[in-house]
Amino acid sequence: MLAESIASAASSVFGSKTRSILTMLGIVIGISSVIMISSIGRGFQESVNSQFAKMGAASLQITVKYDTDVTAKDLLNLDDVDIVSSHPRVKEAAPLLQSTGKIQLLNPEDYREAYILGCTGDLKSIQTLDMRQGRFLAGPDVSNSTSSAVIDSNLAQKAFGSANPIGKTIQASMWFGTAPLTVVGVYKSDEFGANYFELPSIIYVPITTLMKMDNVSNIDAVYANVDDRGSMERISLEISKLLSLSHRNEDKYSVQNLLDQMDAVNTIVSDVTGFVSLIAAISLFVGGIGVMNIMLVTVTERTREIGIRKSLGATDWNIQLQFLVEAVILTATGGLIGIGAGILGGTLLGSVIDVKPSASISNILAAVLIAGATGIAFGVYPARKAAKLDPIEALRYE
Amino acid sequence: MLFSDFIIQIEDLTKIYSVGEIEVKALRGVSLRVEKGEFISIMGASGSGKSTLMNVLGCLDSPTSGVYLLDGKDVSKLAGGSLAKARNKQIGFVFQSFNLLPKLSAAANVELPMIYAGVGAKTRKRRTYAALAKVGLENRMNHKPNELSGGQKQRVAIARALVNDPSIILADEPTGNLDSKSGNEIMEIFRELNAEGATIVMVTHESSIARQTERILSFKDGRIENDSARPLQQIFGIRGVRP
Ligand SMILES: Nc1ncnc2c1ncn2[C@@H]1O[C@H](COP(=O)(O)OP(=O)(O)OP(=O)(O)O)[C@@H](O)[C@H]1O
Ligand SMILES: [Mg+2]
Repeated sequence: MLAESIASAASSVFGSKTRSILTMLGIVIGISSVIMISSIGRGFQESVNSQFAKMGAASLQITVKYDTDVTAKDLLNLDDVDIVSSHPRVKEAAPLLQSTGKIQLLNPEDYREAYILGCTGDLKSIQTLDMRQGRFLAGPDVSNSTSSAVIDSNLAQKAFGSANPIGKTIQASMWFGTAPLTVVGVYKSDEFGANYFELPSIIYVPITTLMKMDNVSNIDAVYANVDDRGSMERISLEISKLLSLSHRNEDKYSVQNLLDQMDAVNTIVSDVTGFVSLIAAISLFVGGIGVMNIMLVTVTERTREIGIRKSLGATDWNIQLQFLVEAVILTATGGLIGIGAGILGGTLLGSVIDVKPSASISNILAAVLIAGATGIAFGVYPARKAAKLDPIEALRYE
Repeated sequence: MLFSDFIIQIEDLTKIYSVGEIEVKALRGVSLRVEKGEFISIMGASGSGKSTLMNVLGCLDSPTSGVYLLDGKDVSKLAGGSLAKARNKQIGFVFQSFNLLPKLSAAANVELPMIYAGVGAKTRKRRTYAALAKVGLENRMNHKPNELSGGQKQRVAIARALVNDPSIILADEPTGNLDSKSGNEIMEIFRELNAEGATIVMVTHESSIARQTERILSFKDGRIENDSARPLQQIFGIRGVRP
C-alpha cells in the first residue's frame, strides 16, 4: 500500500512540474540558506581555529594591564622574557614589539600597509609560519640588531614580482623616516580573506632592531608556551605574580589564554550562524505554508478522484496517506534541491569572501529531516481534509 | 432468515436529506430481497430515488432508518472503515459517467480496488488481464481513458467492478451516456456475467434495456411501486422467468 502511495504521489508531483517547483521554492530557499550559512559558518570557524592552532593552543599572551595606572617601571622589557621562562611549566617564551609602516612596492607609487613585528627566533616555536624561501630570524640577528626581515609571499610578489626576494631590500616608511630592511626569508601568506580585504602585511624584524628604530626600551608582549594545558589558570596567575615581584607592583599584568580567546570567537561565530539559521527557519516555515496552500488546492481539484477512490474501497487512511506522501515528496525533493543549491551557494559565497565552506553530514541529514517533517506538519491538514470527504458528495463534484 | 442465499435484504429503508429547513424524503420505506444470481433492473421517473437506493446498497451512503443486510450482515450501522471494506470486497459499482481516473491507464484503473484490498502485485497483474479480457479489452491495457471510446470506458469500469469478485454488481444507468450499439454491448457483457453467476442490480431509463433482465422494479416517489417478480417467487426464491 505504501509503495503504491509513493508511486502515485510521485507521478502526481512530477506530473505537474511547474507547479511543484513553484511550491517547493520556499522549501528550497529555506533549506539552501540553512546549508549555505551553516557551511560558511563552520568554514569560518575552522579557519579561525586553524589560525589559533598556529599560535599553539597552549600559548599565553602576557601584556601590561593598560586599564590600570601604568608607570614606566611597570612596562615589560626584554628581561621579563627570562622571568617568564623561569616558571617551571613554561617551555618557551618570546618577546614581541609591534609597529606599523608602509612598504614601497614594485611600482614606486604603490605602498602596502604593514605590521612590523619585532621578535626573536624563538617566536617560531610559538607561532607556526610556513617558510617558503630563506630562513626565519635567528640569534645573531637579534644580538647584532641586523636589518634582516621576514616577509610574506604576497608582499614579496608585490614588491619584487617574480624576482627572488632573498637578499633584496625593502623600504619601510615609519614614523621617524624610511628604514631599509634586507629580506632574509619569505613565509606563505595567509589566504584567509586575502582576495577580498587588502589586509596589512606582517613583517618580522629582530626585536632589538625595532626597539632601536622606535627608540623604546620596552616591549609590548611576551608569548609563552606552557607544557601543562590542564592548569593554565594557575600558571597564568603565577606568571603574573613573578612579574609583579620583579617590577615591585601589584596586579599589573594580564596573562591571556589563547584557548579562551578561541572559545570566544567560536561563540560569536556560532551565535551568528544560529541567528541566521533562525531566519532561514522562518523562510522554511513560510515555505511549509506554501506547500499546505497548494495541497489544499490539490485536494479541492482532485475531489472527484478522491470520491472515485473511496467508491472503490479506499479507506480514510488510504486517502490521507496518499496526500501526506505527496506533501512529503514535495518538501523532501525541495529539501534535496535546497541542499544542492546551498552547497553550490556556499562554495560561491565562500570563494568571494575567502572562506572555505564546510558542510557537515549532520547538517545535511538534519536539513532532509526538517524538510520531510515540514511536509508532514503542513501536509496533515490538507490530507485529513481529503480523507474526511464524503464519497457521494466527492463523486458529484464537478 | 429463511434462505441464506439472499445477497441483499432491506427492510423499510428510508433516506431523508435535509437541505436547510427543507426535508427531502428520497426513500420512503423500501423493502427488497435480492437473491444470488439475479439480474434486476430498476426503472422510474427522474428524482424517484433510484440513485439514492443504489448509493445505499453500494455502501456509499447510509440510510436514515431501516435495515440493510449485505450477505446476511447488517451494514446499516457500520462505521466508515468497515463500509470502505464492504465497498472494496463485496460491491462492484458501475457509474453512468464511468468514473475512471483520467491519468491512469485502463490496467491501472482496474488494479485500484485490488491495491486497496492489499492484493500482491503479481496477482494483481494476472487478475487485471483476466478482467480486461473478459470485457474484450485485453489489447487496450495501456490506453488512457481519453484514448478509449465511451463504450470501451464503460467496459473498463465493469472490469474494475468485477476484479475483486464482489457479491453484487451495482450499475446506475450504465448505458445512459452511450449510443444504443455500445449500450447493447454493455448489456451483452452483463448478461454473460449474469449467466456465469454474477448478481447484478441496474438502474435504467430505457425499457428496451430493462426488458433484457429477468426482474424489473418500478420506482415512484421513493417507493417500489411494482416488482415484476411474482410474490411467491420472491418469498420462496424461485427464479423468475424472463417476461
Ligand atoms: N445530496 C442530496 N441532498 C438533497 N437532496 C438530494 C440529494 N441527493 C438526492 N436528493 C434528492 O432525492 C431525490 C431522489 O434523487 P435520486 O438521485 O435518487 O433520483 P433518481 O431516481 O436517481 O433520478 P434520476 O433518474 O434523475 O437519476 C431527488 O428529489 C433529489 O433531489
Ligand atoms: Mg439517478
